[in-house]
Amino acid sequence: MAFVQKPQVYKAAINTVELGVGEKKVAVGGATVSPLYSFDAPIANPPRVGIEITDTGLKGATKGMAEFYSGCNSLADIAKRAAQAPGADFVCLKLEGADPGEENKSVEDCVAAAKEVCGAIDKPLVIEGCKNTQKDAQLFEKIAEALQGKNVLFLSAKEENHKTVGASVGLAYSQKVGAESACDINLAKQLNVLMTQLGVPSGSMVMNLGSAAAGYGFEYVASTMDRVKQAALGQNDSMLQMPVVTPVASEAWSVKEAIISEEDMPEWGDQEQRGIKMEIVTAAACLASGSDAVILKHPASVATISAFIAALM
Amino acid sequence: MAKFITVGERIHCISPAIREAMANRNPEPILQRAKEQIDAGATYLDVNIGPAESTGVELMKWAVTLIQSHFDNVPLCLDTSNKAAIEAGISVYNRSKGKPIVNSADAGDRIENIDLAAANDAICFALCSKAGVPADNDERMVYCQEMLERGMMHGMDPADLWFDPLFLVIKGMQDKQMDVLECIKMLSDMGLNTTGGLSNVSNGMPKKIRPIMDSAMVAMAMQCGLTSAIVNPCDLRLMETIKSCDIIKNNDLYADSYLEL
Repeated sequence: MAFVQKPQVYKAAINTVELGVGEKKVAVGGATVSPLYSFDAPIANPPRVGIEITDTGLKGATKGMAEFYSGCNSLADIAKRAAQAPGADFVCLKLEGADPGEENKSVEDCVAAAKEVCGAIDKPLVIEGCKNTQKDAQLFEKIAEALQGKNVLFLSAKEENHKTVGASVGLAYSQKVGAESACDINLAKQLNVLMTQLGVPSGSMVMNLGSAAAGYGFEYVASTMDRVKQAALGQNDSMLQMPVVTPVASEAWSVKEAIISEEDMPEWGDQEQRGIKMEIVTAAACLASGSDAVILKHPASVATISAFIAALM
Repeated sequence: MAKFITVGERIHCISPAIREAMANRNPEPILQRAKEQIDAGATYLDVNIGPAESTGVELMKWAVTLIQSHFDNVPLCLDTSNKAAIEAGISVYNRSKGKPIVNSADAGDRIENIDLAAANDAICFALCSKAGVPADNDERMVYCQEMLERGMMHGMDPADLWFDPLFLVIKGMQDKQMDVLECIKMLSDMGLNTTGGLSNVSNGMPKKIRPIMDSAMVAMAMQCGLTSAIVNPCDLRLMETIKSCDIIKNNDLYADSYLEL
């Protein structure tokens, strides 16, 4: 008997959220099928790939990264080069230097860095904070104000600062805002409810459901994303239909496979290659679990993952 | 599993205000009741125009258009014994938020309403009765089979027949309540959708008791697999119970604000 395909197409859909302005703006989300199931129905927008740079420049860059960015003397140069990386749909500026526990850069410095990057690229911009919720709230408010009209995504509003971030980024300056929870499905939904109650339109929200490097508790990420997609598509839960944007770089590049040097572990081979592989497998796993966009650091990972997506669409 | 579906019962010609509004085509009282029920969380709204033998066709068209145009095509349940009126209502019905429901068929005189629903790609409430209240669940299941076969003969998806076991008034039929619940369980085990006029159970009880009794009944019925009910959505206790049961059944993902959704 011939195989009869029974497409599993849902009546519900993931929201479509636009990032950036002009010709190079990108739409994230919009799927009506399980992650990557393009054989069930066309996926409105393929998963997107962002390339991450930081306000601290090329400090700690691997050899390959340093080569890719060679000749870049300013943050603007770095941003421009990143935006040209094959496969990159958007640029993510991570404000690592703002961390009060590290360089503790001022809000003004960070606003200047964001403006510099935004002015240098023609692709959409994502701003990632420094993980200090108080500082992030201050940073996001000022940067959202300075970059009005650029349709920038801010990662992320958390339980502790969602009111400030939602009200400034999402409402006052009409930018896009991500709600972050760490593998907690109930909190993920609750944050979306609270931001919706604040008045942030659902088309302006994305979710960062948390991430982990492959092999480091990734099953929690996978089951979280599974349940969220099941609610969004199978149960038509409008409070979980926001697209999922997952920053992968910081997780993938901080596990032992990526940080132990070749001198210490010669049998593991080239350190940079290991980091790239961790980044690629983690990103691929996130996409298979339900991420509508991933953010990676190494240009080789960006190119690989974007080719992977293109091959599946 | 999908979330429990509530059908708001408050647009009913038995209410003097609604009867007057329907007779004089006065939109306000109808729109007000529609809004109250939607705000309270009703999924579908029942539109009961009574038998309306002479004016039903025009009245149903008017009511469907009126309510859907004001409330983003809220899905409706067309409730009358006048078949021509139901067809007329469906002819102007917008399906973007859900199929229309024909309320209702039974295994007796009203079995042709299943044919009507099938011909119009509508959902149909199917009362497990023929003439009067069924004596027991054997009888209920026979009627269920008859209606199921009828619908499938006409190409209906069994999921579009929502079987009503007939909720019975507790005051007077207290000994029959567990039968009704058992029937829901049997229908549910067959994979069928179910519904019913829930507030029947508390008929004749003091006003302050009714929400308590209705809530207890809906919780027990949902445990047995009930998938929808015709209810008064303005009964806060009942709606909170339904939302809580949906959480316990994992029909809806929990969030601290789930009662506000």
